[in-house]
Formats: sequence, structure tokens, C-alpha cells
Amino acid sequence: MTEQAVTAPLLRVQNLSLRYSSQDGPTPILSDVGLELGRGEILGIIGESGAGKSTLGNAVLGLLSPEFEQTSGTIEFDGKTIGTMTEGERVALRGRRISAIFQDHTASLDPLMSVGAQVEETCLAVDATLSKRAARARAIDLLARVGIAEPERRFRNYPHQFSGGQRQRIVIAIALAGAPDIIVADEPTSALDATVQKQILKLLRTLVDETGVSILLVTHDMGVISEITDRVVVMRKGQVVEADRTETILEAPANDYTRKLIAAVPKLHIAPATTNAAQGARQRGPSARGDGNSPALLVAQGISKQFGSQGFVWSFGRSKPGMGLRDVDIRLPRGSITGIVGESGSGKTTFGRILAGLDPASAGRIEIGDRVFDISKSGRRNGLLGRVQMIFQDPSVSLNPRMTVAQTLDESIRFGAKAGRATGPADAVAMMDRLGLARSLSTRYPHQLSGGQKQRVCIARALLARPEIIVADEPTSALDVSVQAEIVTLLKDSIAEQGMTMIFISHDLAIVQQMCSSVYIFKDGRVEDFGRSEFIFGGSDNPYTRTLINARPHRFTC
Amino acid sequence: MGMISVVTGRFLQAFLLLIAMSLIGFIGIHSVGNPVFNIVNIETATPEDIRRATVALGLDQPIWRQYLVFLDNVVSGNFGTSYIYHLPAFELVIAKLPATLELASVAMLIAAPFGTGLGLIAGRRRGTLLDRTVLRASVSALSIPSFWLAMMLILVGAILTGWFPSGGRGSTASFLGQDWSFLTANGLWHLVLPASALAIPNIALIARLSRSGTIEVENLDHTRFCRAKGLSPRRILLRHTLPNISVPIVTIIGLQFGGMLAFAVVVESIFSWPGVGKLLIDSIQLLDRPVVMATLTFIAVAFVALNALVDLFHAVLDPRVRLSSQR
Repeated sequence: MTEQAVTAPLLRVQNLSLRYSSQDGPTPILSDVGLELGRGEILGIIGESGAGKSTLGNAVLGLLSPEFEQTSGTIEFDGKTIGTMTEGERVALRGRRISAIFQDHTASLDPLMSVGAQVEETCLAVDATLSKRAARARAIDLLARVGIAEPERRFRNYPHQFSGGQRQRIVIAIALAGAPDIIVADEPTSALDATVQKQILKLLRTLVDETGVSILLVTHDMGVISEITDRVVVMRKGQVVEADRTETILEAPANDYTRKLIAAVPKLHIAPATTNAAQGARQRGPSARGDGNSPALLVAQGISKQFGSQGFVWSFGRSKPGMGLRDVDIRLPRGSITGIVGESGSGKTTFGRILAGLDPASAGRIEIGDRVFDISKSGRRNGLLGRVQMIFQDPSVSLNPRMTVAQTLDESIRFGAKAGRATGPADAVAMMDRLGLARSLSTRYPHQLSGGQKQRVCIARALLARPEIIVADEPTSALDVSVQAEIVTLLKDSIAEQGMTMIFISHDLAIVQQMCSSVYIFKDGRVEDFGRSEFIFGGSDNPYTRTLINARPHRFTC
Repeated sequence: MGMISVVTGRFLQAFLLLIAMSLIGFIGIHSVGNPVFNIVNIETATPEDIRRATVALGLDQPIWRQYLVFLDNVVSGNFGTSYIYHLPAFELVIAKLPATLELASVAMLIAAPFGTGLGLIAGRRRGTLLDRTVLRASVSALSIPSFWLAMMLILVGAILTGWFPSGGRGSTASFLGQDWSFLTANGLWHLVLPASALAIPNIALIARLSRSGTIEVENLDHTRFCRAKGLSPRRILLRHTLPNISVPIVTIIGLQFGGMLAFAVVVESIFSWPGVGKLLIDSIQLLDRPVVMATLTFIAVAFVALNALVDLFHAVLDPRVRLSSQR
């Protein structure tokens, strides 16, 4: 290999423009995109939804669906143009020279084939000279390399028997099987918990350093960018707005949009800033059982929930009842915002749904004011419905697609009025104004709204029903970063204005810190740690709390 | 633990199904008419003869008692004697079984691979001429009535070309004490037309099902990932897509096979293929209650067994079903 070949970029995209043809005519997806990826480099592509970053990744893989049409530019890999290759040549390239990691580790693996066989078939596909036995040995070796413990034993297990992080490790093992030059990683850690995300990013960095593979990392998460990339390309609406070394982008972004993206990432404050806060950090605050000083609007005690084991004829194979929640106590002071933080499977959503009266609990009691609710029943029978409103994670599926905004809000008002409080249609307009929704939107259907607008409608819907308590379950995680910040501020302010009480469920510590006066940390269905916000983020020495805080990208903590 | 409860559940279900089926069947055949008049010679019988026949058949009892007597006999393995043929009813059903079984099996052995194959290819090449042809052909195949299809097959396959016989079972060979057509070349020859008549609508059904399954599965991330990891399109189709679309297809195959065992009467009649379906219809017309009840019981048991087989296949195919009790 000559000196020149080493320094020439492995992948070069020049003036790439793509458009997507549908019945409504062609829509430009990428316009005039250019980037270069060198050997042993991690190049991040960051942008919000609709930026065209995933399309770019698929174009490099040669996996674009036929509706996409390349109008200009070239993608050059190792001196060859991908666009002019036949499908056969592309198949020969995929897996061997360019491979991929996708976001959804659950969907990336064939559920009906053992993970070992899936790695093995990749080894065989990329190297036809390999014997079956050699392929198996290689597969075991790859599994061990990505950190799967006891690979020989787990070889014959199926994807559903692994945790999310392990599944993503297996996906990485498959991507590595052909010893490729480039891995296109499309949101490789977005579906994972923060602590697991950290480990996977570390693994990717190690692999790059050891094998010299290059990674094209597509993400929406500035935290991921700050953790492992060498260089970054910032994309917006199909165009590259800025490209530079990661340090430079993070510290001195030249473009306004980049600055906005970085500013929108919520920052976690660990060190107590003022003496006042320092004092607060040493006190946990009142316990959930209550010492009775501050008035509590809601007290939940001993909430437990079991899953599985319904009926005996149709309980196909479900042997052990899983515990969703174990003996959870929570106390909500009137007019406060209380955060519930936990990783996936910690029971935080289950708890929120019980509180909103949507699901029954197996044990425990809930008091609001003086009234005790029968939470062994769900829905209308427990009386919670209507007094507690819920804002769901994904606004695109939590609005009725056949109702206009006005109809949705009107329904909420009539429901609230039935509960005995006077409200009128004028309130809907006032609420829309307050939440920054243009009045002209009221005749639109959900699919005609943006993600941020939809979530505003969901918030308006919850507020207009005039509940005492609002449960917001990850209300911002389905939204773009720049929209997230607006929604969080809006939610916080309007709750305060309306004098309501809110439970804010999230996996994101920084947003919780920004929103909540006190925090409960859930782990495996229990309350692991709780206390005032200052205490949790400054003074708590609970090891799990510390792990969660340390899993945050360091650049975005201070 | 999980397995035992599943099996007991299944037996309980089967038991309830049999009870319900026998009640409905019993009351149904009872209300169609009085079988006595099919048994005695109406021209010559005296009222005394009729009365004696009624008592002899137990038809003078109230219906609930007749039903209990029937249940009691069934528990001791006796479905009664045919009013018409004077043979044990159960033996009659067993004697017709080989004809039905081989017809349905051959039809399904044609339909399953053809249907699945067509569906896979059509789904993979969505929107092409081939796909549209498969779709349109399947609509027509599903909508034409089976008697017309059977007659057209006879017209083309037997009368115009003379390639195949137009009816009958041909020569048979003995196996397990029964006569089977598929063991002789001549018998197989006779099977072609009736089996095709049963297979064609099933090919269409299975092809549509596997086409939509293929389209769904090929859009999933793991298919995309298989392409990204460099597998050949053929391998993806056969090793990944096919198993993933199999569950609904096997369910349909099970149901349709059960249907063919019991209700292929039109095809059986047209091709004078003496099967269970034909026996059932004939017995209903003759009010031959023991035979009707024996046939219905056999059909119900067959459906339960087929469903159990389908479930077993799901467990073999899908590790999430198989292993969930071990976790």
C-alpha cells in the first residue's frame, strides 16, 4: 500500500443529492451533501428528524429503497463509485467491506434463529472458504470479543433471551464478522439505557482502536457525539451546515443551528452552586410515609403490581408471575413537580399508569386529599380517572387520528365540565394561545401537525380536563432536542400557573433536575433513592444514583 | 408446570367442544324428522310395526334420555348401529376415512408448497407483473364455486383431453387393513383431478397470506440487517423470511385440512369419491343418527388434534413460545 492510499479517505461523498418520489411528486431529501471518512476514524452525523442523516447512511450501504433517486453526486468507497455498481457487486461489498448496526436491537436480529447461527451465517456469507466448524469458532470468538460472557453456552440462545445491551453487542459482533472497513451505525445506542449506552460506546471506541475499522455514526444525540466521535457533520433538512473536529464543534460552533443544538441539550448540575443549595444537598427532605409538615395532595403507599399468570387455560407457558412494582411509597406535595427516574423495566411507567387509574394495582392504597381510592380496579371503577390526567410519551399515537385538534380539546373540556368544574370553549382557544399553538391549527388532524405541535395538543388536552394531578410519562423523549427544551419550559410554567401537581417520569436526569423539586429513583420496581432534587444530584451517596449520574456524558454535566 | 397446564387446558377445551358439538348435532338431527319412517317400509308397515321399531330404536324416550343413553354408549366406545346399513356406525366412518385422508393430504401437499412459493416470490417482487398475476388469479380462484371448478377440471382434464379419469378411486392397495388409492399408480392417477379441485382455492389462500407476510417481514429491520451483513437474497428469503411468515400459514393449513376432511362433500360427490363428507351428507338425508353422530365426533376430534399439531409446530418454530416456560 502506498503512502498516498493510506492518507486518501476511505469513503468520500461528493455533492450527493437524493430525492424521494411519492404520489405527491418528488421531495428532495439530500442536497449537495459532502463528507469524508478516513481509516480508523469515527465520524458523527448529527441532526434532528428529517435531516436526512439515516438516508445518507443507507445510501452508503446501498440499501435505499427504489423510491429514492440520486440526482447528482457520487459516493466513492476505496476509490470505487458505489452508485455505478450492480446489485451483485453491492452484495459483495456489504458485510465484507461495509457493514451496519441499526438502532433497534430487538428488530435487527431474526427472532427465530439462535444468535450463534446468525453470527455464523454471516461468517459463512462473507468468507465462502470457511468450513462450518471454523465459522462456528469464529462466531464464538466474535461474541467473546464484544463482551458476551460464556459465548459457547449462549451460542444456542435466541435473541429474546438477551438483554437490550447484549443484543446490541451481538449486532456489533455480526457487523464485525466480515472484518469490514466501515461500519455504518444508525443510532446504535438510542434504544438503550444510559448506563448501557455508555458501555456500548466504549466497546465501539475500543474496536476502532484495535481493528482500525471506521465508523459512520448517525445520531440525534449530542451526548453520543461528545463521547466518541473524532469529527462531526451537522445536518439540517438534507444539507450539511457544519463539519469539523468534534472538539471544535462542541466548543466553538460556527453555525447558529449548531449552537442551538448544543444549547438545547439539558445540562446536569452536580456541584452545588450556592451555599443555599449546598445546605439542601445534605438533607434528603421529608420521607414518603410523611412527617406531616408540608401538606400532601397525594399519598401512595405500598403500591405493588404483579404481571402474568392470568387464568390457567390460556396462560401459555407464562410460569412465574413477574413483579412490576414492589411496595412503592410516594408523596406529592400540593403544587409541586415530582420526578420519577429509572431505566427501562424499572416500573416507572407502570406506576404512572396506576396513578392515572389506567391499570389496576395488586396491592397498596392511594389517597388524594381525604379520599381513598380502590386501586385494585382499573378505569372508571376506581374513581381516579379524570382526577389524574396523563401525557404520554409518543404524541403521534396518543391522539385520535380521526379527530381535529378542536374536537380533541372540546372532548376534554366536556369531560372536565362533567367532573363539576366550569369551563367553556373559549378556554380551548385561550389554552392554545398559552401553549403557543396557532388558532388556525384547530381544524387540523394530528397527521397534519409536527411532533412538537402534537405534544402541545396533548398537554392542552390534559390541562383542559382540569385534573388535580398530571402524570407526564417521558413527554419529550419522542421529540427533537430543540423542541424538547420548549416543551419542558412550557409544561413547567403552565403547571405552575394552573396550580396543578405533576409527576414527571423520565430517564433523563438533566430534564428532571430542571423540572422537579423532588425526585424518586426507581430500580427493578422499587424506590431505590428519593429526596429533594438538591439532595439527589448533590448529596446522595446511593451507589445506583451515582451510577446514573456518572452515565451522563461528561461534557454535559457541570 | 407450564406444559402440564397447557395440556390439561387443551383436554378440557376438547371435552367441552365435544359435549357442545354432540348436543347441537343430536338436537339438530332429532328435529329434522323421525328416522323410523326411513327404516320400516311405509307401504306395508302396520302401526304396530312402527311402534315396535320406535321402541327398539329407543325413540319412544324423551330426547334428554335418548341423549344420555347416547353418551353412555359413547363412553363405552359404542356409537350405535347404522339404521340403514346395519353396521356399527364407527366402523362405517373408519371405512370411509382412507379415501378422505388421502384426498385431503394430496391436495394439501400440492397447495402448501405451491401457495407458499408463489406468495414468497410475489411478495419479494411486489408490484411486478408476476405479483399482479398471482394476486388476480388468487381472487378468481377463491371466488369461483367449487362445483364449477370441479366440473371444469373434468371437462378439460377428462372429457376433452382424456388424460385423467373423471371419477372413482381406481385400483386400491391394502395397507393397515384399509384400502388406499395412493399406493397404486392407477389410484394416484384418479387422485389428480379431485385433489386439484380441492388444492386450487387453497393455493390461492396460502399464496395471498404468504405474499402479505413476505411484504411485512421484508420491511422489518432484521431483513434489512441481513442484507447489510451481506447475505444473498435467496438465503434471506428461505432462511429468514420463510420461517417468520410460517406461523399464520401453518394455522391456515391446519384449519383448511380439517375442513377438507369433513366438508369436501361437493368435490367428493362430483368425482364419486366415497369419503367422509359424502357419508355425512348421505346419513343426514337418511336420518341415520348413529352415523351422523359418529362422523361429527370424528370431525371434532380431528379439528382438536389438528389445532394441537399447529400449536406444537408453533413451539418448534418459535423459540419465544418454546422457551418462555424455562426462563
